[in-house]
Amino acid sequence: MRPFAYAAARSLPQALEQVGADSAYLAGGTTLVDLMKLEVLTPRRVVDINGLPLRGVWVDRDGLHLGALERMSDVAAHQLVADGYPLLSQALCQSASAQLRNMASIGGNLLQRVRCGYYRDTASPCNRREPGTGCPAVHGENRGHAILGTSDSCVATHPSDLAVALVALDASVRLVRRGGATRAVRLADFYRLPGDTPHLEHDLRPGELITRVTVPPLAWARRSTYLKIRDRRSYEFALASAAVALDLAGGRIRDVRVAVGGVGTRPWRLPAVEAALRGRPLRVEVAEAAAERAVDGARPLSQNGFKTTLVRRVIVRALMRVAG
Amino acid sequence: MSGSAPRTVSVSRVDGRLKVTGAARYAADQPVDRVAHGYLLLSTVARGTVRAMDVAAAERAPGVLAVFTPFRPVELHGTGNPFSVGHRWLPLQDTEVRYYGQVIGLVVAETFEQARDAAALVRAEYDAHPPAASLPDGIPGATDPGPIMGEPARLEFLAPGVESIEAALAASEVTLSGRYTQPIKHHCAMEPHAATAEWQDDGLTLYTGTQSATLTVGAVAAALGVAPTQVRVVSPHVGGGFGNKIATWAHPLLAAAAARVLGRPVKVVLTREQTFTVTGHRSGLAQTVTLGARRDGTLVAVRHEAYATQSASGGTFEAAAHTTSRYLYRAENIHLDQRIVTLDIPPPTWMRAPGQESGSFALETALDELAVELGIDPVTLRLRNDATVYPGRNVPWSSKHLAECYEVGARRFGWDRRDPVPRSTIDGDWLVGTGVATANYPGERFPASVRIRFRADGTVGVDSATADLGTGMWTVLAVLGAESLGLPVDRIRPDLGDSTLAPNIGAFGSGATASTGPAVAAAARAAIAELVRVAVTHEDSPLYGVPAEEIDYDHGRLVAPGVRIGFPALLGAVGLDTVEATGSAGPGPDHGRYAFTSFGAHFCEVRVNRWTGEPRVSRITTVIDAGAIINATTARSQIVGGVIFGIGQALLEGSRLEPATGRIANANLADYLLPVNADVPPIDVHFLDHPDTLFNPLGARGIGEIGTVGVAAAIGNAVYHATGRRVRDLPITLDKLLD
Repeated sequence: MRPFAYAAARSLPQALEQVGADSAYLAGGTTLVDLMKLEVLTPRRVVDINGLPLRGVWVDRDGLHLGALERMSDVAAHQLVADGYPLLSQALCQSASAQLRNMASIGGNLLQRVRCGYYRDTASPCNRREPGTGCPAVHGENRGHAILGTSDSCVATHPSDLAVALVALDASVRLVRRGGATRAVRLADFYRLPGDTPHLEHDLRPGELITRVTVPPLAWARRSTYLKIRDRRSYEFALASAAVALDLAGGRIRDVRVAVGGVGTRPWRLPAVEAALRGRPLRVEVAEAAAERAVDGARPLSQNGFKTTLVRRVIVRALMRVAG
Repeated sequence: MSGSAPRTVSVSRVDGRLKVTGAARYAADQPVDRVAHGYLLLSTVARGTVRAMDVAAAERAPGVLAVFTPFRPVELHGTGNPFSVGHRWLPLQDTEVRYYGQVIGLVVAETFEQARDAAALVRAEYDAHPPAASLPDGIPGATDPGPIMGEPARLEFLAPGVESIEAALAASEVTLSGRYTQPIKHHCAMEPHAATAEWQDDGLTLYTGTQSATLTVGAVAAALGVAPTQVRVVSPHVGGGFGNKIATWAHPLLAAAAARVLGRPVKVVLTREQTFTVTGHRSGLAQTVTLGARRDGTLVAVRHEAYATQSASGGTFEAAAHTTSRYLYRAENIHLDQRIVTLDIPPPTWMRAPGQESGSFALETALDELAVELGIDPVTLRLRNDATVYPGRNVPWSSKHLAECYEVGARRFGWDRRDPVPRSTIDGDWLVGTGVATANYPGERFPASVRIRFRADGTVGVDSATADLGTGMWTVLAVLGAESLGLPVDRIRPDLGDSTLAPNIGAFGSGATASTGPAVAAAARAAIAELVRVAVTHEDSPLYGVPAEEIDYDHGRLVAPGVRIGFPALLGAVGLDTVEATGSAGPGPDHGRYAFTSFGAHFCEVRVNRWTGEPRVSRITTVIDAGAIINATTARSQIVGGVIFGIGQALLEGSRLEPATGRIANANLADYLLPVNADVPPIDVHFLDHPDTLFNPLGARGIGEIGTVGVAAAIGNAVYHATGRRVRDLPITLDKLLD
């Protein structure tokens, strides 16, 4: 770990003032501190924002709001979330470990770094960590890597389960920057594809801070699920996951949301699958046919070709589970 | 006490409170004044030489005391580990790089963090060559490793008149062949390796987690160029060993050598990532088992060929065939062929059930395939081929009850309800299957000594230089001490994990209890005799002058006509704090006349999701025939731990060695998948109780390793039964089961 300056911000304006070039905000620290110990991240200044008033879980006419500093475990257990948005609660509960969920913040979860072994190893090349050095994963260890949204520069999977569920719900993040100006960005637009610049992960401007996440009202999100498939039953990133919400009327799909994780370089919403389901009766054959569209444009790698099958099965299984 | 086996007790581990309260001191926890902290530097190429190392920035970093490299080494002597399970070279004595992640330096600083951060400032330059790091690529060049446990690596027993194993196979009514592969695996003990070295005058005290304080003394003394009497190894608690804390790896040597140079204690704690290359692992393997049988299931020929990875820099490989097909079933013709593929990887070492773990996966899967082929129940097939004498040696087993393991296990598990047709049981979205496999592990016994010390305060010390790796040895010493002396367990003060205690080679080969237990009884006899001697020869003793043969020992008291005195009162009367004696035991004269082996049977139920393919173990019944069980509580833990170990082998574990770089790509516990609690189903453990007093007076053969043997095959066989798909490559992950 490189030496760094530490400051605990006492107010939002102060936090935004304190942060500059080579700075990092510290919330739960579960990604930042880990990667600082590995010297993958080497900020000169760390601004601790845990004292800021960015808490709370509430509902108003704009929908469900999650304060950026709420801890994953608290949000997962919150009645408004568990009742109104089961897929959010389930995505959180299947993330990381209980200990990590007790520390990690909602804002930090959305900004967590990729779990690619080459990214985490400073002795290996990595375009995301050191632009222009190359991507060993393209021909190396890539069983857990992405099949959607990849480039020759980077094939790392977006790691967040929560983000997949949020993208399915059309959630947005609220951002504030120095001077107090705020803006809202749809989470689906917030994440960038790696392209030639995998080190640019999202649309966050220097010094900008996530203050909250907002999920628009969606009454039928009560009928939803997050299904995560992995080798072991707990404490592992997804090989493939699906966030599904269903508006079912008389056995027919009036509306539906489908997003997948573990397969894309960012949380992957599937409008083509949704379109193929809308207006149809919910049957296994219908779900299977619609799920075919999930892998449009997929580029499997040497070790992860199974994900093109797995992700379709996860969608079908999630749909049938929600149909109940 | 007589030679009869002791009764089984159920005692919670006596060191349990220390552990759950954090009071148990592991190697890195020992408080040592003025200790400096060392951090290892590892190579980032797999083969070549270190051309130069720039340590200037590291040396200027805060708190740094020294940076040792091959260009500025510490002083070490010899050619490496005298014991073949470790590396055959010493760290920092040359610039050669033998594998990725080899130690190439040690940074010592005032704090761990300072040492770690300074280490990141060191720049190494290499002349690197492409490594050999692929088992499949190396198979054409595989070599004969030399004798395995005294027998040739290519070993054959043929029935009279049979020319070759090929002829025997060709003449069989049914033949079947399968190729079984499994990756390199790591021990992943919860406690990472650590060493704290402190010199006082010319004596070294080394706190390091080890399965053998005795072997560590030898290795460290040789490397440091001092007499073994100058080295004391202290290791009261070991947070898991699994075979990887037998060899003396680089860190205790460097800690001791650096401490000597710097004139202050040095502690080196490996990070989790470093444990993957600085210490050992289990070989990766490719095995082919070919079976020839009659239609009734009688095995006629067994050919077992195994290729195991070995390191060019030392270590010991996995001998899969010689530990399983060698004797597990009766067949007129047996052909074993063990080869090694030497790679530029860290040294492999013993890992829980070395040989049996991998060999049983191959053999027990092949048997299941044969059962399917012949339409014979897999339990019936095994019982039909149960060996009654050790093949090729024609000695009987001292005590063998494999058939009973299967009978009892089948009953407890409900095996008779099984429909043999694959994919015949579906529960919602889950395909349900069941499978069985045999477990085996030899009864190992080593010479061991125990010292028993009566103390005036009414307690009794029972000590030996053995180790407790979480295995329950503290408790076994207490239980057997209490049993031998007729005293309650809470009056026994066990001690272990210190090379200055009564001589003991340590804990491995599942032999700690089997070796140390008889020595407890011998020590008790000797200590009682000494107590009597003191009683009759000391003028202040109420038994002074009484003929020794007239004195009985009874539950801590000496009894003679008209006199009955407890040992605390006796010691008080004669003014002694302690009376002690040491007793020893070792393999007995019967050891050539019998084969000593423990057996077991696993019954397992697996569920595989029909959409997404993930296999989940839903229940296991394991029946073990290991002779007498000393402490049922800790014994059950051993078997449960072994079974969970096997679940990891079957479904999750594998070190991902990159062929191009020789780097282990998943050297951390997020990416190297061990079972978590959620992966562990209810495990029903049952011990048959057939004391094996031909093996030792305890009748106990040891249980540390057998629990894991056969689990992977039982799970794989259940996966086949559930899905109709045979997976011969471990781990059995969902990608191999997707339709």
